[in-house]
Amino acid sequence: MIEIWYAILTFMLIMFVVLEGFDFGAGMLQYLVGKTEAERRLVIAAIGPLWTWHEVWLVGFGGTLMVSFPNVMASAFAGFYLAFFLLLWALVLRGVALEVSGQIAEPLWRTGWHVVFVAANILLAILIGTALGNIVRGVPLAANGKFALDFFTNFSPSGNVGILDWYTVSVAVFVIVIFAAHGATVLVLKTTGPVHDRSLRIASLLWKTILVLLAGITLESWHVRPELFSGMIHQPFGWLGLIAVAGGVAVIFTSLKNGRELSAVIGSGVFIAGLMTAGAAGVFPIMLHSTLAPENSLSAYQNAAAGNGLVIALVWWPLSLIFSVVYVAFIYRHYTGKVKPSEDIQTPY
Amino acid sequence: MEDTLFWSRLQFAFTITYHYLFPQLTMGLAWIIVYFKWRYLRTGDETFGNAARFWARIFGINFAVGVVTGIPMEFQFGTNWAGFTKFSGNLIGQTLAMEGMFAFFLESALIGAMVWGEKRLGPRNHFLTTVGVALGSWASGYFILVTNAFMQHPVGYSVAADGSLRLQSLAAYLLNPWALIMFLHNQCAAVVTGSFVVAAVGALYALRGKHPGQASLFLKTGTLVGLCACFLVATPTGDQQAKMVAKHQPVTLAAMEGRFHGGSNAELNVIGQPDEDQQRIDNPLYLPDALSILAFGHANSSVQGLDDFPKNEWPTNIELLYYAFHIMAGLGTLFILLMIIANIQRWRGRLEKSRGLLWALMLAFPFPYIATTAGWMTAELGRQPWLVFRLFRTSQGVSDVIGGGNVLFTLMGFTGLYFVLGVLYLFLIGREIAHGPQTISSTIKLEVSHD
Repeated sequence: MIEIWYAILTFMLIMFVVLEGFDFGAGMLQYLVGKTEAERRLVIAAIGPLWTWHEVWLVGFGGTLMVSFPNVMASAFAGFYLAFFLLLWALVLRGVALEVSGQIAEPLWRTGWHVVFVAANILLAILIGTALGNIVRGVPLAANGKFALDFFTNFSPSGNVGILDWYTVSVAVFVIVIFAAHGATVLVLKTTGPVHDRSLRIASLLWKTILVLLAGITLESWHVRPELFSGMIHQPFGWLGLIAVAGGVAVIFTSLKNGRELSAVIGSGVFIAGLMTAGAAGVFPIMLHSTLAPENSLSAYQNAAAGNGLVIALVWWPLSLIFSVVYVAFIYRHYTGKVKPSEDIQTPY
Repeated sequence: MEDTLFWSRLQFAFTITYHYLFPQLTMGLAWIIVYFKWRYLRTGDETFGNAARFWARIFGINFAVGVVTGIPMEFQFGTNWAGFTKFSGNLIGQTLAMEGMFAFFLESALIGAMVWGEKRLGPRNHFLTTVGVALGSWASGYFILVTNAFMQHPVGYSVAADGSLRLQSLAAYLLNPWALIMFLHNQCAAVVTGSFVVAAVGALYALRGKHPGQASLFLKTGTLVGLCACFLVATPTGDQQAKMVAKHQPVTLAAMEGRFHGGSNAELNVIGQPDEDQQRIDNPLYLPDALSILAFGHANSSVQGLDDFPKNEWPTNIELLYYAFHIMAGLGTLFILLMIIANIQRWRGRLEKSRGLLWALMLAFPFPYIATTAGWMTAELGRQPWLVFRLFRTSQGVSDVIGGGNVLFTLMGFTGLYFVLGVLYLFLIGREIAHGPQTISSTIKLEVSHD
């Protein structure tokens, strides 16, 4: 039961990162791929009308974490207090900028909101990257299962750590590049003309960069959290994740070369999902690792909600997922294929 | 610790009050838009088509602000109320997750297509999308109200070995009688807000002599729906809600009425200020026996006073609770009067000529917002000093690892950000209303000329 809920949480976080990842990535690249106002609108249109649906995965993740591991949520959310509010504010600004920039066709209004949009997307990528880095590295959990993180201490990833150190900063950089590459790959699929060609060039360049960065991050993670890798190879999900990473990379490179745009997007999603699956399997069952003393770490086994609440939730959770797929299928079939400049850039979507 | 508690309460109160200004209009407008869409689908009359498109644009802007201000709510349970999350996360997380998984997934998948996708979807699917969004917004309301109802009147739980709560029965938790009544009361109030806004825009157009067809339609729909909703808010839903409070939270009822001393033949205060030092109501104007009748059905029923309860169980801010309750009830009564007059005049065919009444309808739209806010303050202040009534105190729920200064900092951040959001919202909505419901949206026309 505990393993199932850990897997469900991982799945929801993966859905959020893969889906919002391309919104964030495409948003970051708005000025690089769009040189005219119409081209920048095309980027917004490519993000499409489902961005709120993507964001709901984060809301669903929060509620599900509360049901299944209330102690972990209590400890982690309070511990990352200020960082969490930065994330929330950036999400507010990103959503507002996306929605209102199209409301008025006035160049200053548009440019102003586009700048807010790009900045918020970059900030969100940094925050999500840092958060993932913190989960792998661990936090200064005391014996009472609580912690409160400073933004930074001495930039060393052991002992009394801060949110930022050389490891979490490098994970943040890695995540920015991944989101940008992922977003560019989706823009290749959804757009035509100059935006398409620029996105293709950026995607090819960034995916090559990612191969180099991946090697670096692997070495750094080995140094910071060695048991990540021993955990990974002892879990079937760890192997699944590693295979997905390798397969994803292969699919991305062959597809981009041969113009198979949809499979490139799928490969990109599989690559990200693979990295996160391997990571989640590697750290299991530790949900929050303590950098002060390993025995302070919060384990899934000791911190899952007891009683039949988890069994009950396992009944409604899959049901809600099926419903959700139905709604999205209903809408998405009207939005497949390339964004049409004539129809779509008139309105925010 | 004391600081953290105070600022965390203020931050939650501020962010939730601000957030709820938007969903109440979303929920209230949703079915009015469905009605316009349905009439348009059946008759093909463009008056209804344009009305639906106009309100859908307002809805879209309103929904966007509602979404972005809603996300911080769920996360504050973890950041500021870690003790509460630990204590009852297994229960309240169920409905918070369900809200995301059932209601938000539905709304968020459909909203973009509802506002902008009429051409892409075609009339029938676009109508279904509107219905889906309406259902999603009401389902979302239900899940949140179940969460709140549990805090007011906990059911369906058991206590685990570590003292935290566990879900015992999902059916009992989801069908909490408190939640059912609160849902009906709250949703009727949301429809009051929606109908007052529709009527106010109709009155504005009628006073300016613009968009005559739309002005009549908005006035007719707004006042008719408004009349029904105003009645339903008061009775049976408001009345039943008050009886529920009388039965399960007698100390709250006593504080809401400023009733310091118990006894039979309890009076209902209409005006007057509670005086905690003297333990009485200053300069009261009251209806004799009315509280006994309303709460328990008989003039000589005994209604407990605050002195029947230990002082550490009294709501922590009796004055504010008293004013909030009386503002809500007073405004609710005035709404019924206004809507009765408006409907009589409309029935006599004189509404659009009575400028005084049109002015009243136009200026009335802020008051439902005040009434709903006061109603929620009544519910939440009345629950104090408990987070979960009689199980868990508010002071136990707050996160103990964050300093008060941090919370004050984030509260100020929200204040600034939400101020900007509010200005932006009023600007965009004002623009839509000034532009009015015309055949082609201004945005589209302007952009075509720019491109």
